[in-house]
Amino acid sequence: MTTIEDIEKFIKKTGLETKTEMNEVVRNRIFQAFEKSKQTKSALTEPNIWRKIMKSRITKIAAAAVIILAVVFSMTIFDKSIPTAYAIDQTIQASHSVQYLHIRAITPSHEDQPVEFWIEFAQDGRPKNMRVNQPDWMTPGSGPREVIWKDNKKQDWLREKNILLTTTEDEASAAQVLKMIENLDPKLAVTRLQEKQEQGKVELEINEPADKAEPIIVTATSTKEDDSSFQRKVLYIDQATKLVSAIELYKLRNGEYEYMKTMEYYDYNQPIDAEMFMFKDVSNDAEHIDLMTIGLAQGNLSDEEIAVEVVRQFLEALIAGNYDKASKLFPGEPADKIKEMFSELNIIRIVSMGKPILHSETNRLRVPFEVEVEMEGKISLWKKQGPLIQHLAGQPDRWAINGF
Amino acid sequence: MLEDKLLVWKFKGGNWDALSRIYDKYREDLLRLAISLLNDISSAEDIVQDVFVSFAQSHELFRLTGTLKGYLATCVANRARNRNRDDMRHRTVELDDNEEVFTDSKTPDEWIICSEELKKLSNAIGQLPYEQREALVLHLQGDMKFKQIAKFRNVSIRTIQSRYRYGLDKLRSLLNSEVIK
Repeated sequence: MTTIEDIEKFIKKTGLETKTEMNEVVRNRIFQAFEKSKQTKSALTEPNIWRKIMKSRITKIAAAAVIILAVVFSMTIFDKSIPTAYAIDQTIQASHSVQYLHIRAITPSHEDQPVEFWIEFAQDGRPKNMRVNQPDWMTPGSGPREVIWKDNKKQDWLREKNILLTTTEDEASAAQVLKMIENLDPKLAVTRLQEKQEQGKVELEINEPADKAEPIIVTATSTKEDDSSFQRKVLYIDQATKLVSAIELYKLRNGEYEYMKTMEYYDYNQPIDAEMFMFKDVSNDAEHIDLMTIGLAQGNLSDEEIAVEVVRQFLEALIAGNYDKASKLFPGEPADKIKEMFSELNIIRIVSMGKPILHSETNRLRVPFEVEVEMEGKISLWKKQGPLIQHLAGQPDRWAINGF
Repeated sequence: MLEDKLLVWKFKGGNWDALSRIYDKYREDLLRLAISLLNDISSAEDIVQDVFVSFAQSHELFRLTGTLKGYLATCVANRARNRNRDDMRHRTVELDDNEEVFTDSKTPDEWIICSEELKKLSNAIGQLPYEQREALVLHLQGDMKFKQIAKFRNVSIRTIQSRYRYGLDKLRSLLNSEVIK
Protein backbone atom coordinates (compact mmCIF):
# COMPACT_ATOMS: atom_id res chain seq x y z
CA MET A 1 0.00 0.00 0.00
CA THR A 2 1.23 3.51 -0.82
CA THR A 3 2.56 5.34 2.20
CA ILE A 4 2.46 9.01 3.01
CA GLU A 5 6.25 9.09 2.57
CA ASP A 6 5.89 7.70 -0.96
CA ILE A 7 3.44 10.44 -1.84
CA GLU A 8 5.73 13.10 -0.44
CA LYS A 9 8.69 11.76 -2.43
CA PHE A 10 6.55 11.52 -5.54
CA ILE A 11 5.44 15.15 -5.32
CA LYS A 12 9.02 16.28 -4.80
CA LYS A 13 10.61 14.31 -7.62
CA THR A 14 8.02 14.66 -10.40
CA GLY A 15 9.65 16.61 -13.15
CA LEU A 16 9.02 18.48 -16.35
CA GLU A 17 11.01 19.68 -19.32
CA THR A 18 10.99 23.09 -20.87
CA LYS A 19 11.23 23.70 -24.59
CA THR A 20 14.42 25.55 -25.35
CA GLU A 21 13.00 27.90 -27.99
CA MET A 22 10.05 29.00 -25.85
CA ASN A 23 12.30 29.27 -22.86
CA GLU A 24 14.36 31.83 -24.77
CA VAL A 25 11.22 33.79 -25.67
CA VAL A 26 10.34 34.05 -22.01
CA ARG A 27 13.89 34.93 -21.03
CA ASN A 28 13.87 37.67 -23.65
CA ARG A 29 10.65 39.11 -22.21
CA ILE A 30 12.21 39.19 -18.76
CA PHE A 31 15.33 40.81 -20.18
CA GLN A 32 13.25 43.54 -21.87
CA ALA A 33 11.41 44.25 -18.64
CA PHE A 34 14.70 44.37 -16.73
CA GLU A 35 16.36 46.75 -19.20
CA LYS A 36 13.29 48.98 -19.30
CA SER A 37 13.16 49.24 -15.54
CA LYS A 38 16.82 50.23 -15.47
CA GLN A 39 16.22 52.99 -18.01
CA THR A 40 13.21 54.39 -16.20
CA LYS A 41 14.92 54.63 -12.87
CA SER A 42 12.14 55.53 -10.54
CA ALA A 43 11.90 58.32 -8.06
CA LEU A 44 11.80 55.61 -5.42
CA THR A 45 15.52 55.13 -5.60
CA GLU A 46 16.48 58.18 -3.62
CA PRO A 47 14.34 57.65 -0.53
CA ASN A 48 15.20 53.97 -0.56
CA ILE A 49 18.90 54.41 -0.04
CA TRP A 50 18.49 54.93 3.66
CA ARG A 51 15.88 52.21 3.80
CA LYS A 52 18.23 49.77 2.18
CA ILE A 53 21.00 50.83 4.53
CA MET A 54 18.83 50.32 7.56
CA LYS A 55 17.59 46.93 6.37
CA SER A 56 20.99 45.39 5.84
CA ARG A 57 22.81 44.34 8.97
CA ILE A 58 26.25 44.98 7.50
CA THR A 59 25.46 48.41 6.10
CA LYS A 60 23.51 49.30 9.23
CA ILE A 61 26.55 48.51 11.36
CA ALA A 62 28.74 50.40 8.93
CA ALA A 63 26.36 53.36 8.97
CA ALA A 64 26.24 53.27 12.75
CA ALA A 65 30.04 53.12 12.91
CA VAL A 66 30.32 56.12 10.62
CA ILE A 67 27.85 58.05 12.76
CA ILE A 68 29.69 57.15 15.99
CA LEU A 69 33.03 58.07 14.48
CA ALA A 70 31.63 61.35 13.24
CA VAL A 71 30.25 62.16 16.68
CA VAL A 72 33.48 61.19 18.48
CA PHE A 73 35.52 63.09 15.96
CA SER A 74 33.51 66.25 16.23
CA MET A 75 33.45 66.00 20.03
CA THR A 76 37.22 65.72 20.02
CA ILE A 77 37.65 68.68 17.76
CA PHE A 78 35.20 71.01 19.38
CA ASP A 79 35.36 69.58 22.88
CA LYS A 80 31.70 70.07 23.44
CA SER A 81 28.59 67.94 23.14
CA ILE A 82 26.18 68.33 20.27
CA PRO A 83 22.62 68.56 21.49
CA THR A 84 19.80 66.96 19.46
CA ALA A 85 18.45 69.85 17.46
CA TYR A 86 15.44 68.09 16.01
CA ALA A 87 12.06 68.12 17.71
CA ILE A 88 8.91 66.56 16.32
CA ASP A 89 7.23 69.97 16.43
CA GLN A 90 9.39 70.97 13.50
CA THR A 91 7.82 68.28 11.32
CA ILE A 92 4.32 69.29 12.39
CA GLN A 93 5.15 72.90 11.58
CA ALA A 94 6.70 72.03 8.21
CA SER A 95 3.69 69.90 7.27
CA HIS A 96 1.23 72.77 7.69
CA SER A 97 2.04 74.16 4.27
CA VAL A 98 1.66 70.83 2.47
CA GLN A 99 -0.92 71.03 -0.27
CA TYR A 100 0.01 68.09 -2.49
CA LEU A 101 1.14 64.59 -1.63
CA HIS A 102 2.07 61.48 -3.52
CA ILE A 103 2.21 58.30 -1.39
CA ARG A 104 3.17 54.74 -2.08
CA ALA A 105 2.15 51.99 0.31
CA ILE A 106 4.38 48.95 -0.01
CA THR A 107 3.68 45.58 1.58
CA PRO A 108 6.33 42.85 1.73
CA SER A 109 4.20 40.26 -0.08
CA HIS A 110 3.64 42.61 -3.04
CA GLU A 111 6.69 44.86 -3.03
CA ASP A 112 6.54 45.27 -6.77
CA GLN A 113 2.89 46.37 -6.74
CA PRO A 114 2.48 49.32 -4.39
CA VAL A 115 -0.82 51.05 -3.78
CA GLU A 116 -0.44 54.68 -4.87
CA PHE A 117 -2.24 57.73 -3.57
CA TRP A 118 -2.31 61.32 -4.79
CA ILE A 119 -3.90 63.83 -2.45
CA GLU A 120 -4.62 67.52 -2.88
CA PHE A 121 -5.43 69.57 0.22
CA ALA A 122 -7.36 72.84 0.22
CA GLN A 123 -5.83 76.04 1.64
CA ASP A 124 -7.48 75.35 5.00
CA GLY A 125 -5.79 71.94 5.18
CA ARG A 126 -8.88 69.87 4.47
CA PRO A 127 -8.66 67.16 1.81
CA LYS A 128 -9.91 68.34 -1.55
CA ASN A 129 -9.20 65.60 -4.10
CA MET A 130 -7.79 62.11 -3.93
CA ARG A 131 -6.85 59.39 -6.35
CA VAL A 132 -5.94 55.82 -5.44
CA ASN A 133 -4.52 53.26 -7.83
CA GLN A 134 -5.07 49.80 -6.41
CA PRO A 135 -3.24 46.87 -7.99
CA ASP A 136 -5.24 43.74 -8.72
CA TRP A 137 -3.93 41.80 -5.71
CA MET A 138 -6.05 44.09 -3.54
CA THR A 139 -9.25 43.28 -5.37
CA PRO A 140 -8.91 39.78 -6.77
CA GLY A 141 -11.34 39.10 -9.54
CA SER A 142 -11.91 42.76 -10.36
CA GLY A 143 -8.53 43.62 -11.87
CA PRO A 144 -6.72 46.85 -10.99
CA ARG A 145 -9.02 49.53 -9.59
CA GLU A 146 -8.61 53.29 -9.82
CA VAL A 147 -10.55 55.42 -7.37
CA ILE A 148 -11.11 59.17 -7.54
CA TRP A 149 -12.76 61.20 -4.83
CA LYS A 150 -13.63 64.70 -5.89
CA ASP A 151 -16.38 67.16 -4.97
CA ASN A 152 -17.74 64.69 -2.43
CA LYS A 153 -18.27 62.17 -5.21
CA LYS A 154 -16.40 58.86 -5.39
CA GLN A 155 -15.83 56.98 -8.61
CA ASP A 156 -14.24 53.56 -9.09
CA TRP A 157 -12.95 52.67 -12.52
CA LEU A 158 -12.62 48.93 -13.12
CA ARG A 159 -10.68 49.06 -16.33
CA GLU A 160 -10.61 45.33 -17.05
CA LYS A 161 -14.32 45.00 -16.51
CA ASN A 162 -15.06 48.29 -18.29
CA ILE A 163 -17.24 49.42 -15.40
CA LEU A 164 -17.42 52.85 -13.76
CA LEU A 165 -18.94 52.75 -10.27
CA THR A 166 -20.21 56.07 -8.95
CA THR A 167 -21.27 57.12 -5.48
CA THR A 168 -22.99 60.46 -5.26
CA GLU A 169 -23.23 62.73 -2.22
CA ASP A 170 -23.08 59.91 0.23
CA GLU A 171 -22.00 60.68 3.77
CA ALA A 172 -20.79 57.17 4.58
CA SER A 173 -18.60 57.09 1.50
CA ALA A 174 -17.20 60.55 2.17
CA ALA A 175 -16.49 59.65 5.79
CA GLN A 176 -14.63 56.53 4.70
CA VAL A 177 -12.48 58.47 2.25
CA LEU A 178 -11.70 61.13 4.84
CA LYS A 179 -10.75 58.43 7.33
CA MET A 180 -8.42 56.93 4.77
CA ILE A 181 -6.76 60.29 4.13
CA GLU A 182 -6.48 60.88 7.86
CA ASN A 183 -4.53 57.65 8.18
CA LEU A 184 -2.24 58.63 5.33
CA ASP A 185 -1.58 62.25 6.24
CA PRO A 186 1.97 62.46 7.67
CA LYS A 187 1.14 65.66 9.54
CA LEU A 188 -1.60 63.89 11.46
CA ALA A 189 0.65 60.88 12.00
CA VAL A 190 3.30 62.95 13.79
CA THR A 191 0.70 65.03 15.66
CA ARG A 192 -0.87 61.84 16.99
CA LEU A 193 2.52 60.51 18.01
CA GLN A 194 3.26 63.68 19.93
CA GLU A 195 -0.09 63.48 21.71
CA LYS A 196 0.46 59.84 22.57
CA GLN A 197 3.92 60.61 23.89
CA GLU A 198 2.42 63.22 26.19
CA GLN A 199 -0.15 60.65 27.37
CA GLY A 200 2.56 58.06 28.00
CA LYS A 201 1.21 55.75 25.31
CA VAL A 202 4.22 55.99 23.07
CA GLU A 203 7.96 56.23 23.65
CA LEU A 204 9.91 58.20 21.10
CA GLU A 205 13.53 57.70 20.25
CA ILE A 206 15.13 60.24 17.96
CA ASN A 207 18.30 59.55 16.06
CA GLU A 208 19.65 62.60 14.29
CA PRO A 209 22.71 61.80 12.18
CA ALA A 210 25.48 64.38 11.87
CA ASP A 211 25.43 63.94 8.12
CA LYS A 212 22.66 66.24 6.93
CA ALA A 213 22.10 64.07 3.88
CA GLU A 214 20.87 61.23 6.04
CA PRO A 215 17.36 61.17 7.44
CA ILE A 216 16.44 61.73 11.06
CA ILE A 217 14.99 58.49 12.37
CA VAL A 218 12.16 58.69 14.87
CA THR A 219 11.21 55.33 16.39
CA ALA A 220 7.84 55.37 18.14
CA THR A 221 7.15 52.30 20.27
CA SER A 222 3.77 51.75 21.87
CA THR A 223 3.56 51.17 25.59
CA LYS A 224 1.00 48.79 27.07
CA GLU A 225 -1.54 51.61 27.29
CA ASP A 226 -1.57 52.14 23.54
CA ASP A 227 -4.10 50.29 21.40
CA SER A 228 -2.67 51.17 17.98
CA SER A 229 -2.88 48.69 15.14
CA PHE A 230 0.87 48.98 14.74
CA GLN A 231 3.00 48.82 17.84
CA ARG A 232 6.08 50.36 16.32
CA LYS A 233 6.40 53.10 13.75
CA VAL A 234 9.72 54.22 12.32
CA LEU A 235 9.59 57.65 10.72
CA TYR A 236 12.29 58.90 8.39
CA ILE A 237 12.48 62.68 8.40
CA ASP A 238 14.30 64.70 5.78
CA GLN A 239 16.85 66.83 7.60
CA ALA A 240 16.55 69.77 5.24
CA THR A 241 12.77 70.07 4.99
CA LYS A 242 11.82 68.30 8.26
CA LEU A 243 9.10 66.53 6.28
CA VAL A 244 8.37 62.80 6.60
CA SER A 245 9.97 60.75 3.82
CA ALA A 246 8.65 57.40 4.93
CA ILE A 247 6.95 55.56 7.74
CA GLU A 248 7.62 51.89 8.40
CA LEU A 249 4.97 50.03 10.37
CA TYR A 250 5.55 47.06 12.61
CA LYS A 251 3.31 44.74 14.62
CA LEU A 252 4.39 43.08 17.84
CA ARG A 253 4.04 39.33 17.41
CA ASN A 254 5.46 36.71 19.74
CA GLY A 255 7.70 39.29 21.35
CA GLU A 256 9.18 40.51 18.08
CA TYR A 257 8.42 43.52 15.95
CA GLU A 258 7.38 42.23 12.58
CA TYR A 259 7.65 44.53 9.59
CA MET A 260 4.24 45.01 7.95
CA LYS A 261 4.44 47.83 5.42
CA THR A 262 5.98 51.13 4.43
CA MET A 263 4.34 54.36 3.44
CA GLU A 264 6.67 56.42 1.25
CA TYR A 265 5.98 60.11 0.71
CA TYR A 266 7.01 61.93 -2.44
CA ASP A 267 6.59 65.15 -4.33
CA TYR A 268 5.61 67.33 -1.40
CA ASN A 269 3.89 70.39 -2.79
CA GLN A 270 4.56 69.55 -6.40
CA PRO A 271 1.21 70.48 -7.93
CA ILE A 272 -0.69 67.45 -9.15
CA ASP A 273 -2.12 67.77 -12.63
CA ALA A 274 -5.89 68.31 -12.43
CA GLU A 275 -6.31 65.46 -14.92
CA MET A 276 -5.11 63.04 -12.27
CA PHE A 277 -8.44 63.59 -10.57
CA MET A 278 -10.43 62.76 -13.70
CA PHE A 279 -11.00 59.55 -15.58
CA LYS A 280 -10.04 60.62 -19.06
CA ASP A 281 -9.98 57.25 -20.75
CA VAL A 282 -13.30 55.71 -19.77
CA SER A 283 -14.59 54.22 -23.00
CA ASN A 284 -17.98 55.18 -24.40
CA ASP A 285 -19.30 51.67 -24.03
CA ALA A 286 -18.31 51.43 -20.36
CA GLU A 287 -21.07 50.36 -18.01
CA HIS A 288 -21.96 53.14 -15.57
CA ILE A 289 -23.34 51.93 -12.26
CA ASP A 290 -24.55 54.11 -9.41
CA LEU A 291 -23.57 52.23 -6.28
CA MET A 292 -26.69 53.46 -4.52
CA THR A 293 -28.76 51.30 -6.87
CA ILE A 294 -26.91 48.05 -6.28
CA GLY A 295 -26.88 45.62 -3.40
CA LEU A 296 -29.36 45.77 -0.55
CA ALA A 297 -29.61 48.37 2.19
CA GLN A 298 -28.88 46.81 5.56
CA GLY A 299 -31.51 48.77 7.49
CA ASN A 300 -32.05 47.21 10.90
CA LEU A 301 -30.82 43.76 9.91
CA SER A 302 -27.70 42.24 11.41
CA ASP A 303 -24.74 41.43 9.16
CA GLU A 304 -25.76 37.75 9.09
CA GLU A 305 -29.40 38.57 8.33
CA ILE A 306 -28.60 40.93 5.47
CA ALA A 307 -26.14 38.39 4.00
CA VAL A 308 -28.88 35.73 3.92
CA GLU A 309 -31.34 38.23 2.47
CA VAL A 310 -28.96 39.15 -0.34
CA VAL A 311 -28.53 35.50 -1.31
CA ARG A 312 -32.26 34.79 -1.00
CA GLN A 313 -33.19 37.68 -3.28
CA PHE A 314 -30.44 36.73 -5.70
CA LEU A 315 -31.75 33.16 -5.96
CA GLU A 316 -35.34 34.38 -6.28
CA ALA A 317 -34.26 36.68 -9.10
CA LEU A 318 -32.62 33.72 -10.85
CA ILE A 319 -35.77 31.61 -10.43
CA ALA A 320 -37.85 34.45 -11.89
CA GLY A 321 -35.36 34.94 -14.73
CA ASN A 322 -34.85 38.52 -13.61
CA TYR A 323 -31.16 38.76 -14.46
CA ASP A 324 -31.11 42.56 -14.22
CA LYS A 325 -32.06 42.33 -10.57
CA ALA A 326 -29.59 39.48 -10.02
CA SER A 327 -26.88 41.64 -11.56
CA LYS A 328 -27.63 44.44 -9.08
CA LEU A 329 -27.04 41.96 -6.28
CA PHE A 330 -23.82 40.65 -7.85
CA PRO A 331 -22.11 43.90 -8.94
CA GLY A 332 -19.42 43.57 -11.50
CA GLU A 333 -21.26 40.84 -13.36
CA PRO A 334 -23.55 42.19 -16.08
CA ALA A 335 -27.02 40.70 -16.53
CA ASP A 336 -26.10 38.76 -19.68
CA LYS A 337 -23.13 37.22 -17.90
CA ILE A 338 -25.33 36.18 -14.99
CA LYS A 339 -27.76 34.67 -17.47
CA GLU A 340 -24.93 32.78 -19.14
CA MET A 341 -23.74 31.50 -15.78
CA PHE A 342 -27.06 30.42 -14.31
CA SER A 343 -29.72 29.93 -16.97
CA GLU A 344 -28.65 26.37 -17.82
CA LEU A 345 -28.87 25.50 -14.16
CA ASN A 346 -32.59 26.25 -14.19
CA ILE A 347 -33.18 26.75 -10.47
CA ILE A 348 -36.74 25.82 -9.53
CA ARG A 349 -37.01 26.59 -5.85
CA ILE A 350 -35.04 27.37 -2.73
CA VAL A 351 -34.97 24.37 -0.40
CA SER A 352 -33.01 25.86 2.48
CA MET A 353 -30.77 28.73 3.47
CA GLY A 354 -27.96 28.02 5.94
CA LYS A 355 -26.42 30.11 8.67
CA PRO A 356 -23.71 32.47 7.36
CA ILE A 357 -20.11 31.49 8.06
CA LEU A 358 -17.29 33.99 8.28
CA HIS A 359 -14.73 33.28 5.58
CA SER A 360 -11.55 33.99 7.50
CA GLU A 361 -9.27 34.74 4.55
CA THR A 362 -11.46 37.38 2.99
CA ASN A 363 -13.43 38.45 6.06
CA ARG A 364 -16.62 38.00 4.08
CA LEU A 365 -19.72 36.00 4.95
CA ARG A 366 -20.47 32.80 3.14
CA VAL A 367 -24.14 31.80 2.99
CA PRO A 368 -24.76 28.10 2.32
CA PHE A 369 -27.91 27.14 0.47
CA GLU A 370 -29.76 24.24 -1.14
CA VAL A 371 -31.90 24.65 -4.23
CA GLU A 372 -33.73 22.34 -6.57
CA VAL A 373 -32.54 22.47 -10.17
CA GLU A 374 -33.96 20.95 -13.30
CA MET A 375 -31.57 19.86 -16.00
CA GLU A 376 -32.51 17.74 -19.00
CA GLY A 377 -35.82 16.89 -17.41
CA LYS A 378 -34.26 15.66 -14.18
CA ILE A 379 -34.77 17.39 -10.88
CA SER A 380 -31.87 17.30 -8.47
CA LEU A 381 -30.66 19.03 -5.37
CA TRP A 382 -27.85 21.58 -5.69
CA LYS A 383 -25.98 22.26 -2.49
CA LYS A 384 -23.58 25.12 -2.40
CA GLN A 385 -21.24 26.33 0.29
CA GLY A 386 -22.50 29.68 -0.77
CA PRO A 387 -21.44 32.96 -2.32
CA LEU A 388 -19.31 35.47 -0.47
CA ILE A 389 -21.21 38.48 0.82
CA GLN A 390 -19.87 41.77 2.04
CA HIS A 391 -20.78 45.41 2.16
CA LEU A 392 -19.94 47.44 -0.91
CA ALA A 393 -16.66 49.33 -1.02
CA GLY A 394 -17.36 52.76 0.42
CA GLN A 395 -20.94 51.75 1.23
CA PRO A 396 -20.95 50.11 4.65
CA ASP A 397 -24.75 50.08 4.69
CA ARG A 398 -25.22 48.29 1.40
CA TRP A 399 -24.46 44.60 0.91
CA ALA A 400 -23.97 42.47 -2.16
CA ILE A 401 -22.42 39.28 -3.47
CA ASN A 402 -18.72 39.62 -3.96
CA GLY A 403 -17.88 36.24 -5.44
CA PHE A 404 -18.98 32.63 -5.74
CA MET B 1 21.91 30.06 0.13
CA LEU B 2 25.01 32.23 0.00
CA GLU B 3 24.95 31.92 -3.77
CA ASP B 4 21.40 33.25 -3.75
CA LYS B 5 22.42 36.21 -1.63
CA LEU B 6 25.21 37.03 -4.04
CA LEU B 7 22.89 36.64 -6.99
CA VAL B 8 20.35 38.95 -5.37
CA TRP B 9 23.04 41.47 -4.54
CA LYS B 10 24.22 41.50 -8.18
CA PHE B 11 20.63 41.53 -9.45
CA LYS B 12 19.84 44.58 -7.34
CA GLY B 13 22.86 46.23 -8.89
CA GLY B 14 21.35 45.74 -12.34
CA ASN B 15 23.26 42.63 -13.39
CA TRP B 16 21.37 40.70 -16.07
CA ASP B 17 23.52 37.57 -15.75
CA ALA B 18 22.49 37.28 -12.13
CA LEU B 19 18.82 37.53 -13.01
CA SER B 20 19.26 35.03 -15.81
CA ARG B 21 20.92 32.63 -13.37
CA ILE B 22 18.06 33.06 -10.89
CA TYR B 23 15.61 32.36 -13.68
CA ASP B 24 17.46 29.19 -14.75
CA LYS B 25 17.77 28.01 -11.19
CA TYR B 26 14.14 28.34 -10.15
CA ARG B 27 12.11 28.32 -13.38
CA GLU B 28 11.22 24.64 -13.32
CA ASP B 29 10.47 24.48 -9.63
CA LEU B 30 8.10 27.43 -9.94
CA LEU B 31 6.42 25.95 -13.00
CA ARG B 32 5.78 22.68 -11.20
CA LEU B 33 4.43 24.59 -8.28
CA ALA B 34 2.15 26.72 -10.44
CA ILE B 35 0.88 23.69 -12.37
CA SER B 36 0.07 21.92 -9.12
CA LEU B 37 -1.74 24.97 -7.78
CA LEU B 38 -3.69 25.79 -10.92
CA ASN B 39 -4.07 22.47 -12.66
CA ASP B 40 -3.63 24.32 -15.91
CA ILE B 41 -0.42 24.47 -17.93
CA SER B 42 -0.96 27.70 -19.83
CA SER B 43 -2.08 29.61 -16.73
CA ALA B 44 0.94 28.28 -14.88
CA GLU B 45 3.23 29.47 -17.67
CA ASP B 46 1.62 32.91 -17.61
CA ILE B 47 1.99 33.23 -13.89
CA VAL B 48 5.63 32.19 -13.77
CA GLN B 49 6.45 34.56 -16.63
CA ASP B 50 4.63 37.39 -14.86
CA VAL B 51 6.39 36.68 -11.58
CA PHE B 52 9.81 36.88 -13.25
CA VAL B 53 8.87 40.00 -15.19
CA SER B 54 7.68 41.73 -12.01
CA PHE B 55 10.75 40.50 -10.21
CA ALA B 56 12.95 41.96 -12.98
CA GLN B 57 11.14 45.28 -12.76
CA SER B 58 11.53 45.45 -9.00
CA HIS B 59 15.30 45.12 -8.82
CA GLU B 60 15.79 48.57 -7.29
CA LEU B 61 13.24 47.97 -4.57
CA PHE B 62 13.67 44.29 -3.97
CA ARG B 63 14.52 43.28 -0.44
CA LEU B 64 15.02 39.66 0.51
CA THR B 65 13.96 38.75 4.01
CA GLY B 66 13.77 34.94 3.71
CA THR B 67 14.98 32.55 1.04
CA LEU B 68 14.87 33.53 -2.60
CA LYS B 69 13.00 30.38 -3.56
CA GLY B 70 10.49 30.99 -0.78
CA TYR B 71 9.97 34.55 -1.97
CA LEU B 72 9.42 33.49 -5.58
CA ALA B 73 7.16 30.61 -4.49
CA THR B 74 5.12 33.10 -2.46
CA CYS B 75 4.74 35.35 -5.50
CA VAL B 76 3.57 32.39 -7.59
CA ALA B 77 1.14 31.28 -4.87
CA ASN B 78 -0.30 34.79 -4.55
CA ARG B 79 -0.90 35.08 -8.26
CA ALA B 80 -2.23 31.54 -8.46
CA ARG B 81 -4.70 32.26 -5.70
CA ASN B 82 -5.85 35.44 -7.43
CA ARG B 83 -6.16 33.60 -10.71
CA ASN B 84 -8.02 30.80 -9.03
CA ARG B 85 -10.48 33.19 -7.40
CA ASP B 86 -10.94 34.97 -10.67
CA ASP B 87 -11.61 31.71 -12.44
CA MET B 88 -14.05 30.65 -9.74
CA ARG B 89 -15.99 33.84 -10.24
CA HIS B 90 -16.09 33.61 -13.96
CA ARG B 91 -16.45 29.94 -14.51
CA THR B 92 -19.91 28.81 -15.50
CA VAL B 93 -21.35 27.42 -12.33
CA GLU B 94 -20.97 23.69 -12.12
CA LEU B 95 -23.16 21.31 -10.24
CA ASP B 96 -20.31 19.69 -8.45
CA ASP B 97 -17.85 21.96 -6.69
CA ASN B 98 -15.10 19.42 -7.19
CA GLU B 99 -15.57 19.11 -10.93
CA GLU B 100 -12.24 20.49 -12.07
CA VAL B 101 -10.75 19.23 -15.26
CA PHE B 102 -7.10 19.19 -16.18
CA THR B 103 -6.98 21.41 -19.24
CA ASP B 104 -4.62 19.53 -21.42
CA SER B 105 -4.85 21.85 -24.40
CA LYS B 106 -1.57 21.73 -26.23
CA THR B 107 -0.69 24.69 -28.38
CA PRO B 108 2.28 25.11 -30.73
CA ASP B 109 3.68 27.75 -28.39
CA GLU B 110 3.51 25.61 -25.30
CA TRP B 111 6.51 26.30 -23.17
CA ILE B 112 6.71 23.19 -21.08
CA ILE B 113 6.30 19.50 -21.60
CA CYS B 114 4.58 17.75 -18.75
CA SER B 115 5.53 14.23 -17.94
CA GLU B 116 2.69 11.73 -17.62
CA GLU B 117 3.53 11.51 -13.96
CA LEU B 118 3.11 15.22 -13.47
CA LYS B 119 -0.21 15.19 -15.32
CA LYS B 120 -1.52 12.43 -13.10
CA LEU B 121 -0.24 14.15 -10.03
CA SER B 122 -1.76 17.47 -11.10
CA ASN B 123 -5.08 15.79 -11.76
CA ALA B 124 -5.08 14.32 -8.29
CA ILE B 125 -3.88 17.49 -6.56
CA GLY B 126 -6.48 19.44 -8.51
CA GLN B 127 -9.19 17.52 -6.70
CA LEU B 128 -8.03 18.77 -3.32
CA PRO B 129 -9.56 21.89 -1.75
CA TYR B 130 -7.38 24.87 -2.65
CA GLU B 131 -6.06 25.47 0.87
CA GLN B 132 -4.88 21.88 1.19
CA ARG B 133 -3.39 21.98 -2.27
CA GLU B 134 -1.52 25.17 -1.46
CA ALA B 135 -0.13 23.82 1.83
CA LEU B 136 1.06 20.65 0.10
CA VAL B 137 2.79 22.18 -2.87
CA LEU B 138 4.34 25.11 -1.02
CA HIS B 139 5.84 22.71 1.49
CA LEU B 140 6.93 19.97 -0.85
CA GLN B 141 7.64 21.83 -4.07
CA GLY B 142 8.28 25.33 -2.77
CA ASP B 143 10.50 24.05 0.06
CA MET B 144 8.71 26.35 2.47
CA LYS B 145 8.49 25.49 6.14
CA PHE B 146 5.06 25.25 7.75
CA LYS B 147 5.92 28.32 9.77
CA GLN B 148 6.63 30.30 6.60
CA ILE B 149 3.41 29.15 4.96
CA ALA B 150 1.45 30.00 8.10
CA LYS B 151 2.95 33.47 8.15
CA PHE B 152 2.31 33.92 4.45
CA ARG B 153 -1.35 32.91 4.85
CA ASN B 154 -1.76 34.61 8.20
CA VAL B 155 -3.07 31.49 9.90
CA SER B 156 -1.64 29.27 12.66
CA ILE B 157 1.01 26.66 12.01
CA ARG B 158 -1.44 24.05 13.29
CA THR B 159 -3.94 25.05 10.60
CA ILE B 160 -1.32 24.65 7.89
CA GLN B 161 -0.20 21.32 9.30
CA SER B 162 -3.80 20.10 9.34
CA ARG B 163 -4.37 21.23 5.77
CA TYR B 164 -1.16 19.47 4.77
CA ARG B 165 -2.06 16.24 6.57
CA TYR B 166 -5.64 16.14 5.28
CA GLY B 167 -4.41 16.93 1.77
CA LEU B 168 -1.84 14.19 1.88
CA ASP B 169 -4.37 11.66 3.15
CA LYS B 170 -6.83 12.54 0.43
CA LEU B 171 -4.11 12.47 -2.20
CA ARG B 172 -3.09 8.99 -1.11
CA SER B 173 -6.59 7.76 -1.65
CA LEU B 174 -6.76 9.44 -5.05
CA LEU B 175 -3.48 8.31 -6.53
CA ASN B 176 -3.35 4.73 -7.62
CA SER B 177 -0.34 2.57 -7.00
CA GLU B 178 0.83 2.49 -10.62
CA VAL B 179 1.61 6.21 -10.50
CA ILE B 180 3.81 5.82 -7.51
CA LYS B 181 5.83 2.84 -8.72
